[in-house]
Amino acid sequence: MATAQPLYVLPGDTIDPSLIPTHKKLPLRLGPGLRHIPPSAIVPTVAGQLVADHKKNSMWVEYNGGRYIPAPNDLVIGQIQRSAADFYFMNLTPFTSNATLPQLAFEGATKKNRPQLASGALVYARVVLANRHMDPELECVSSSTGKAEGLGPLTGGMAFDVSLGLARRLLMARSREEGKVEILELLGAEGLAFETAVGRNGKVWVGSDSAKTIILVGRALRETDDGKLDVDQQKKLAKRLIREMK
Amino acid sequence: MPREIEPSLNEKQFVLQALQEKFRLDGRQFDQYRPLELTFGDQYGVADVAFGKTKILAKASAEVTVPYADRPLDGVFAIATELSPMASPAFEVNRPTETEVLLSRLLEKTVRRSGALDTESLCLVAGQKCWSIRVDVHVLSHDGNLIDTACFAVVAALRHFRKPDTSVEGGILTVYTPAEREPVPLSWLHSPFCVTWSFYGDRGEIAVLDATWTEEQIRVASCTISLNRHGEICQISKLGGTPVEAVALLQCTSIALTKAKDFSVFLDKKLAEDTKKRNIGGFMAELRSENDR
Repeated sequence: MATAQPLYVLPGDTIDPSLIPTHKKLPLRLGPGLRHIPPSAIVPTVAGQLVADHKKNSMWVEYNGGRYIPAPNDLVIGQIQRSAADFYFMNLTPFTSNATLPQLAFEGATKKNRPQLASGALVYARVVLANRHMDPELECVSSSTGKAEGLGPLTGGMAFDVSLGLARRLLMARSREEGKVEILELLGAEGLAFETAVGRNGKVWVGSDSAKTIILVGRALRETDDGKLDVDQQKKLAKRLIREMK
Repeated sequence: MPREIEPSLNEKQFVLQALQEKFRLDGRQFDQYRPLELTFGDQYGVADVAFGKTKILAKASAEVTVPYADRPLDGVFAIATELSPMASPAFEVNRPTETEVLLSRLLEKTVRRSGALDTESLCLVAGQKCWSIRVDVHVLSHDGNLIDTACFAVVAALRHFRKPDTSVEGGILTVYTPAEREPVPLSWLHSPFCVTWSFYGDRGEIAVLDATWTEEQIRVASCTISLNRHGEICQISKLGGTPVEAVALLQCTSIALTKAKDFSVFLDKKLAEDTKKRNIGGFMAELRSENDR
């Protein structure tokens, strides 16, 4: 994955050709933060860590901050603004244009039987379509299997705002090794019962029977985020919060 | 004009439920402020105040002007508040929102009309020349409780401020530079502070201090009490919202007094620290006749 020495780039930097992965069959894929300027220049558009995946022949820039820009297959937590005939208009980030969620894009939804969501309800959804000059489109059901796969309206609980970087780290398949964030596992290991849904748009929904647990998880996330805590510090934080709760 | 997005139903329900169970989102007590930070600038009259993530910068400045015709013996004192889009995209330049109007009005009532600054001392030549003191309030980041933060910042900036020394001889006014004469502090009479309570529940039975932005959006009523450390109340404003029991309000006022005392002690301490930092060498350094040459 990442090379031993992390490489940081600034917008407009020239990238050394030796860093660009090559592959016999796969075409090179550019992720967020990089831009291809024809014929052959690849230029970073943000400041951050340059990461290359040689197996998948892709490269991107890891950065924290900025505004969330929807991309296909991102999991997001949206808030219903209003409902139209066939669509819900959803808000992913404040002060941006709405995303649309078709009312039939829920598991088992039919014309007659579809979820009625009030304005202000939270929905965990996947981004299907995200073009630069169009409103993004969401879905709560996998189009291939027809199953919800954990997506859908979120009832109860509380949504906390976190930075985009932390949301991305939490969503990584191996969040502990790659993302260096372990706080949720640590709190779970201490015996707290809660469930979470992480939205790539910087929202984390925490659900639990006890309000105390939700607040504790929210505080743990905020302190991890604000203090940029590493794994050891997260361990200490988890212990401290559990002690405070008792 | 972009509107501020409301908190989601889940957030609204949860915050209320937690408050009923006596919890706040950030683990604070109901009558506890967020950590208060105050830094003075290099210049006199610049105060940077932060309550948690709410951050306000106030800057005091002075210039010589002509007094108002109907008040020839008074100086001019004005507080300028402008909420810029930097604090939130919902604020627009040159189009004051309700928040902004209320904020400037409350500051006006608390600081100006309570006579915290002796405007008569600003008069230089009766009917002809006076000092005009102006405080600019800049909201750098908005996470609720703008009123208390802004009031604290204004008071801190004015108490830190020094205006140039002047003399009048034979009808000629001389304004001295800081090199010629040490600038002089304003004639300050008392330090008022705002303490804002937010109320929750059907009858406003839950009272909370220093609400964050999320809490502020959900509250059913709010009440701002302005008072100084002697317990002299400058104003109480409860603008609409759910009615609150009088006894509960009395309780709020007495807690507000302890908070005002805390603020006062904190501000005095910070001012003393700043004076010490500026006055390196003390009186002896001033008396010495040797110089760098």
